[in-house]
Amino acid sequence: MTVPPAPAGDRPAAATTPAAELRFEEVVKRYPGADAATIEGLSLTVPAGEILVLVGPSGCGKTTAMRMVNRMIEPTSGRILIAGRPTAEREPAELRREIGYVIQQTGLFPHRTVADNIATVPRLLDWSRDRIAARTTELLDLVGLDATFAGRYPTQLSGGQRQRVGVARALAVDPPLMLMDEPFGAIDPITRDRLQNELLRLQRAQPRTIVFVTHDIDEAIKLGDRVAVMRPGGHLAQYATPAELLLAPADEFVERFVGADRALKRLALGRVRDLPLERPALVRHDDPSAWVRAQLGDAEVPYPLVVDPDGRPVAWLDEDDLAAERVDAAAGSPVAIVSRDDVLRDAFSTVLAHAVQYAAVVDDAGAVVGVLSSDAVARELAPAPAPAEPEPAA
Amino acid sequence: MIAAPLAQAGEGFVRDRSGDAGSCVARDGVCPDWIADNLDRYVDPLLRHVLLTVVALAIGFAIAFALGLLAHRRRWLVAPIVQVTGILYTIPSLALFFLLLPLTGRGFLTAEIALVSYTLLIIFRNVIAGLDGVPADAVDAARGMGLTDREVLWRVELPLAVPEIAAGLRIAATTTVGLASLAFFAGAGGLGDPLYADLNFKSNVLVAGGLCVLLAIVLDLAVLAGQRVLTPWTRVAR
Repeated sequence: MTVPPAPAGDRPAAATTPAAELRFEEVVKRYPGADAATIEGLSLTVPAGEILVLVGPSGCGKTTAMRMVNRMIEPTSGRILIAGRPTAEREPAELRREIGYVIQQTGLFPHRTVADNIATVPRLLDWSRDRIAARTTELLDLVGLDATFAGRYPTQLSGGQRQRVGVARALAVDPPLMLMDEPFGAIDPITRDRLQNELLRLQRAQPRTIVFVTHDIDEAIKLGDRVAVMRPGGHLAQYATPAELLLAPADEFVERFVGADRALKRLALGRVRDLPLERPALVRHDDPSAWVRAQLGDAEVPYPLVVDPDGRPVAWLDEDDLAAERVDAAAGSPVAIVSRDDVLRDAFSTVLAHAVQYAAVVDDAGAVVGVLSSDAVARELAPAPAPAEPEPAA
Repeated sequence: MIAAPLAQAGEGFVRDRSGDAGSCVARDGVCPDWIADNLDRYVDPLLRHVLLTVVALAIGFAIAFALGLLAHRRRWLVAPIVQVTGILYTIPSLALFFLLLPLTGRGFLTAEIALVSYTLLIIFRNVIAGLDGVPADAVDAARGMGLTDREVLWRVELPLAVPEIAAGLRIAATTTVGLASLAFFAGAGGLGDPLYADLNFKSNVLVAGGLCVLLAIVLDLAVLAGQRVLTPWTRVAR
């Protein structure tokens, strides 16, 4: 007895669609009548599962480069390969259904509900109604939207919510490759930051290859596994990891584009847990001051830190506060608190905002695990030793 | 006299003036009794009027819509189509009837050719305007997700153009109801038949003219209702 084969579109999706490697080989785009090429001999490879950020000033061809991947724009010469297969071999419409597509203006269909928008590509692929409904629910949850959004129209959503729907729609058939053209460009900074973090969370949970276009170098450094800096005329100025880009800009253009504060930008790459933390003297309310002074001898931080019974930071004490017989938590100074998972930039900024140049580092439960000093951050910023030049054999 | 060949159009509607010279009917007045007694005589012209209008709108819409789709992807066609339909639109309707008489003779066909001609410009322009008004990002996203040109047109562009297209259809419907009252000049009947048969008699003008206005309102509301069914997204609370 044989089981009848499921309808073609109804095969369950593989648990994880393998991400696809993306390759540009000597890609040129030249518009007839234009003096200069829009893209000049672009060659680069994005390993499967990584985020490539194309960044550069207006007119550098970054969006053109992205749109050539799904053949919205055809290259003049050269080829683009997805998972080793040249895109020119594929029907454009069929190729595009396998590539997620997110644009700045969201491109949501105003005449369709959120659920119908998300179902666009599944319907083109003839998925069953049940499968589409299940996938829609799953996707809304994935992008952090309540299920009640399913029946709303795009005009009823905020900018951030619309972009979440745009991302959900692009993820609908679990594409191995996603194209994102300034998806968070028109969104307020706080929401943008949150959406960036959520994109990174999605990417950690299920890596796929992403081409992300932006003109914002900070966004590029935050999101990119690799960053391609493009200069006007469609030249690739540098293709490197964010750390390499900040430590060793290839030329003056990249250096200027990355910004004079590139040393500070490196703080965006590290996290608090990457730095050596200092050990404070932890004391409780009502401890005898004499005992507290004794504790300071062993500590790496010159001020005692008052914690509550659960180990959560309450106040810094200074010499004057210890004049009394016993510790009075209310007398101390407020404590800057950072999480182990915070990026160094945010943590440093928190430290600077407080009178005491030390921040209490807490774990997920809020208990103190150490202290971050502004000195430690400064040491992190000190120029790293130049990469060792290969010495000629002596 | 120029209208001579057409004069027999409304002959059936001569009222009986044999009564008292001082009666309402004899004084050309608005006579409720006469209207009540003679209303049934307007049913056939009304149905004929509806037929003239609806057929003209259906054919006009089909032609203008097809031209609109054709010109949407071939922009160079827009200007010549607007010119040709614009010329049709400006020919006085009576002149058009007389121009057509030697070719198509008196009757329904002649009237329809003229009526259809007048709908084309209005509907065509609104189809083009509706398609042009579709947000570019929605079309870009649709193409980028792998919709073919045909799918983009039918699933994204046309649904979003419905309000504009319906607006054109409403103007065309109202205009056509009015023009169809001249169709009797081409021997095609309609409410123009009774209307022009006795323009002096206020009761007659009131009933025939009133039915024209009523028909225009009903058609307008019908198109509006259709539009509302097709465009639920335009009425959501923001």
